[in-house]
Amino acid sequence: MKTKLTAEERARREAIVSDEARFEALLEAAFKIDPPKARRAPPRWPAIFAVAATLVLAAGAWLGLRTDAPSYNVSPLSPDIIAHIHHEPNALVVTASTVPDAELAGVLQRGRASLAGPVGQVSYAKLCPFRGQMVAHFVVQGERGPVTVMLLPDEHVAEATPIDEGGFKGTVVPIEGGGSVAIVGQPDENLEEIRNRLLNAVSWKL
Amino acid sequence: MKSKIFSLGDRRRYERVVGQLRQDLYRYALWLSRDPQVAEDVVQESLLRAWRGFDGLQDETKARQWLVTIVRREFFRFKERQREETVDPGILAEIADEVADPLVEELRVAIFALEDAYREPLALQVLMGHTTDEIAGIMGLTQGAVLTRLHRAREKLKQAFLEDGTLDPVEI
Repeated sequence: MKTKLTAEERARREAIVSDEARFEALLEAAFKIDPPKARRAPPRWPAIFAVAATLVLAAGAWLGLRTDAPSYNVSPLSPDIIAHIHHEPNALVVTASTVPDAELAGVLQRGRASLAGPVGQVSYAKLCPFRGQMVAHFVVQGERGPVTVMLLPDEHVAEATPIDEGGFKGTVVPIEGGGSVAIVGQPDENLEEIRNRLLNAVSWKL
Repeated sequence: MKSKIFSLGDRRRYERVVGQLRQDLYRYALWLSRDPQVAEDVVQESLLRAWRGFDGLQDETKARQWLVTIVRREFFRFKERQREETVDPGILAEIADEVADPLVEELRVAIFALEDAYREPLALQVLMGHTTDEIAGIMGLTQGAVLTRLHRAREKLKQAFLEDGTLDPVEI
């Protein structure tokens, strides 16, 4: 609803508008919206570990190029998945907090997926751009730390393929009827149980 | 797809160049999309693309324009994938509510209601500090068209500011 300005208020505003510097300052302040608070959450690892992780990533990639292992032994999605994980360090937090069911359901729905059963303690859930599609990305607290799960309805794989890159280990497994799920955790994490729960629970809402 | 191998030096250079612009890139994406969630997603994907193509950035003085172009392309990719454009009315209240100065709040609402064609060049100029020539390059317009849009955008905002303190509600 429009509000009628008082004569005094109108005069005040006219003064602002006619003073170019003042109006521009106001305009600049209006444009400067702060990023959401969540983005300012401290990362799990201090900077030194981030640097160490980068070194591990670089070393891993270097060693990866030197290995004689055939290329089909590693998921072709692996670099994108690991890069995505590295760009959301605040997701990789060991925490007791749980994403509310409604919030998780919202992310899954927007990611064209649903879960028919529990998959564990979900501590982070977000809809993320991945290879040109928006996908559900969530984190389940595993025994050794956070386990990243990405539900990929548009990424079809013939068989389970491993991920071993950047200090992470995991797998991309096909879902019956198409699509796949990426599950990535710490190298010593037992992903089998989470994988089985996911395979029983995931379905697509296409 | 093969991973590129980046050195620690590359990583530091990327963080130095991109880190200082990240907040402004988010703001730019927010004014493009008018949706904080979309803005976050677009910036995140853009930074990923920027990292992959970082070795192509030879001149760091061009980093701002380079990153803006990536964010813009990523936003339009995102928009193409969205069948319907929806704007949550709650977002407007949320964005406007963040400031203490009621005049800034009013102006923010008015900017939010501007047509895309006016809002974007204004954001590029006021927020990102681009020249009209650079804006023309980014948006694929002539410099004259950019000047016209910038002038009209300011006139619209001033008019809203003077008439009654508010613009008409945003078309959603």
